[in-house]
Amino acid sequence: MSFPGSLAEIQAATGGLWPYLVVIFIGFLPTELWRMLAVALSRGLGEESELLQWVRLVAAALLAAVVAKFIIAPTGALKIIPLWGRAGSLAVGISAFYGFRRSVLAAVLAGEATLIAAGYFGR
Amino acid sequence: MSDTPPSDPGDGLSPLGWARRGFGHGFGLPAVMLMCTMCGIGGLVRDIGYPVWAGTLSTLLIWAGPAQVVLFGAVAAGASLPATALAVSLSSARFLPMTVSVLPLARAGGASLPATVLAAHLVSMTTWVEGLRRLPNVPLAGRMPYFLGYAFAIIGAGMLATHAGFYLYAVLPALLAAALLFTTPLFFTAAMMSSARTMADWIALGSGLFGALLLSPLLPSGLDFLLIGLVGGTAAYAVQRRAGRGAA
Repeated sequence: MSFPGSLAEIQAATGGLWPYLVVIFIGFLPTELWRMLAVALSRGLGEESELLQWVRLVAAALLAAVVAKFIIAPTGALKIIPLWGRAGSLAVGISAFYGFRRSVLAAVLAGEATLIAAGYFGR
Repeated sequence: MSDTPPSDPGDGLSPLGWARRGFGHGFGLPAVMLMCTMCGIGGLVRDIGYPVWAGTLSTLLIWAGPAQVVLFGAVAAGASLPATALAVSLSSARFLPMTVSVLPLARAGGASLPATVLAAHLVSMTTWVEGLRRLPNVPLAGRMPYFLGYAFAIIGAGMLATHAGFYLYAVLPALLAAALLFTTPLFFTAAMMSSARTMADWIALGSGLFGALLLSPLLPSGLDFLLIGLVGGTAAYAVQRRAGRGAA
């Protein structure tokens, strides 16, 4: 059952263009907004401004929440890794970050090794 | 991160010369990390049944790994479009302070509005970190072309990787495809930890991560990480204000 003007109808009407429209209107414009706003504000506002600090902290918390979503709500190929493997991979990555002088590369490599081991032995 | 590039006098280098130098410097470890992330995003694009060029275009236009993950993840979950646009926008809000802080460095030697707008578009986590690190060592006149050249190399590598990731995803063993996808949370966690400076930064990261891990199943899907991000970030901000008042 489809209603006039429903999402399914809009998708059908745009045909193969739909994914590109989503990328432009749902992905590009909402992101670019902030960058263009920054062009206008970068002369007037300082980096230490209260508003910007709040926005930055909210963004950091959001980004961290996005990371958590990879663990609790995996997409695609990640579904073959058990939950403890995904959580363990991040934990090992964080440990390696501190164990190897705050190295981002060490965190990624150790985390990946853990993830692959968990996927291989955990099934 | 300790390998601070030496000051570069670049005697008599033309703007094009500076752009070339920046482009050359773009091929390093940060580019490799970004390519893994973008390979995974190419895989996500394939997962949700979108065409390969939609993924490549998303890297060129959105140019923000987490926002792309939010977008394609929401499409996979069947979230409503306005809620998805809002989620993408909030996950990209960090570009306001990031861009505000790097633009004055890049255009210190003067730059046209089109060049400034282009530089603003090219700001990403990678180009922001590297821009803040590298630009102070570039003479004023060379800064904008250097930054643009550097960022062109990074975004070009990212687009290639997104495109390749779409196809690699089909032939890679499932375990490696999973590892590619997981580069995103691993890299961004480490990169955020690496750039965290204050107690408020740590509260924001911790509350976002553990808040989502513990509370996400209890909150409405799609709104969960918005709520957690807003509450966690605001709590971190409140702590920072209180600490600031105590110190003052």
